[in-house]
Amino acid sequence: MSETYVPFVLAVLVLVASLISLRLALSVAIVEIALGVLAGNVFHIESTAWIDFLAGFGGVLLTFLAGVEVEPRLLRAKLKESLLIGGFSFLVPFAAALLYCYFVAGWDLKAAEIAGAALSTTSLAVVYAVLVETGLTETETGKLIMAACFVTDLGTVVALSVMFAKVNWWTLVFYAVSVVVIVSGPRVFRWFAARYGGRVIEPDIKLVFATLFGFMLLGNLGNSHAVLPVFVLGAVLARSFASHRDLQRKLRVIAFGTVTPFFFLKGGMNVSVAALVSSLGLVGVLFVVKVGAKMIGVYPWARRYLRGRATYTTLLMSTGLTFGTISALYGLQAGYVDKTQFTVLVTVVIATAVIPTIIAQRFFQPPLPGPAAKPTESSSQAPSGSVESEE
Amino acid sequence: MFKKILVANDGSEHARKALVKGVELASCFGAELHMICVEEHLPHYAATIGEVLEEKEEEDSYFGQIVKEATELAQAHGVSLHSLVTPGHEVETTIRYAEQEGVDLLVIGFMGHSRVLGRIMGGSAANLTRLAPCSVLVVK
Repeated sequence: MSETYVPFVLAVLVLVASLISLRLALSVAIVEIALGVLAGNVFHIESTAWIDFLAGFGGVLLTFLAGVEVEPRLLRAKLKESLLIGGFSFLVPFAAALLYCYFVAGWDLKAAEIAGAALSTTSLAVVYAVLVETGLTETETGKLIMAACFVTDLGTVVALSVMFAKVNWWTLVFYAVSVVVIVSGPRVFRWFAARYGGRVIEPDIKLVFATLFGFMLLGNLGNSHAVLPVFVLGAVLARSFASHRDLQRKLRVIAFGTVTPFFFLKGGMNVSVAALVSSLGLVGVLFVVKVGAKMIGVYPWARRYLRGRATYTTLLMSTGLTFGTISALYGLQAGYVDKTQFTVLVTVVIATAVIPTIIAQRFFQPPLPGPAAKPTESSSQAPSGSVESEE
Repeated sequence: MFKKILVANDGSEHARKALVKGVELASCFGAELHMICVEEHLPHYAATIGEVLEEKEEEDSYFGQIVKEATELAQAHGVSLHSLVTPGHEVETTIRYAEQEGVDLLVIGFMGHSRVLGRIMGGSAANLTRLAPCSVLVVK
């Protein structure tokens, strides 16, 4: 088979995925995973070194972008509530999935830990899209839910970081350098962007990429993983990126246009349809374990701090996608989970992106604040304001 | 005869015809004219917030232009336009708005952007006509 066959097929799939995504208003990530399943199971395309490399960097880039999307202001404003809701949103599903996979499903400890990480996540992006649609992004409810999502994300990356760590001297170097880069990052980035930014050759984006590759290198040398410092670096640079909207957009264009498609395609290519069919029961059980654990972990706190929106909040906090896929793929790459376990985890992750969202929007959606408000004459109006209704 | 008219506008050619008809009717009956533009292409189950934000900004820009043109058209006919741009499902959001505002005539285009899916699944016009709480004028 020609060595240009695989790049050609994948390029066509990436193109088709973006067209389907636009046509169906569906996340390109889910479409890319679905087409990856097609590539792996129908076209029998197997991952190559360059796909592995791009997918690995795609995961790191997605983690960085997730960090950049953190709003520290939101976290500070809702610290106690978000720590409780987000913290338990991570801890209870992590423990429940880990214990179920280890004691009941018979997975080994490392695989069970990966299951815990993959199924503890909350998809900030899925939640954000729902909040935008319901006009809740600027309300107290929306802000608290997003702040709680940041905390859950942080819990997941910390867990992944601990799981992958096999401490040696390089690990200490890795974390020491990480601290220095994270602490000095905002100041250096502001200076660099002011001095070299806004040029067509994009030195500031190259600085970001060089830093991420540096983290990956040191993470490898330190038998660890770059996920935690990359996420935290993104979070501390969030304000700088917010004031450089054009740069943020270019970074997204590069990420979604050239790098992250290979991450999601690779995720799909590693899904085995045969394994999925034979493990459908486990998929169903793990779905129930995740959503049930989110109910136990999130609902009581949501009931206290988001009265009237507790079930809605709990369902939104049950969604997962990017970090769930990242966790599962990291586990596969490290050999902690096999292909069948990976298939099960990714399927559950995608199911949690879709099913809780549909249930929340169909049965627990709060009244739309936008159309309820009187529109101003001859003006476009985004929905705003909070309507705190009882369920 | 009609006191409050709502035009659903997705920016398509048929929606534009519906807007023209809505403006003429509002002018003729001295009715209050409303227009709703539903941003229905925001990606569901997105991987990053950026994916949603980028699409939202594009839709805001697209519908901003449509609102501007519609306002000018209405003003040319001596009608003041109350417009709303909001994310959501086209049919559900329009119906909800019509109910909440007590609209007594909904004016829609025969066919929006989703031609292929519309033919298979019945289309937004058919669903709006079926579910609307008021009279519906479908403009061809």
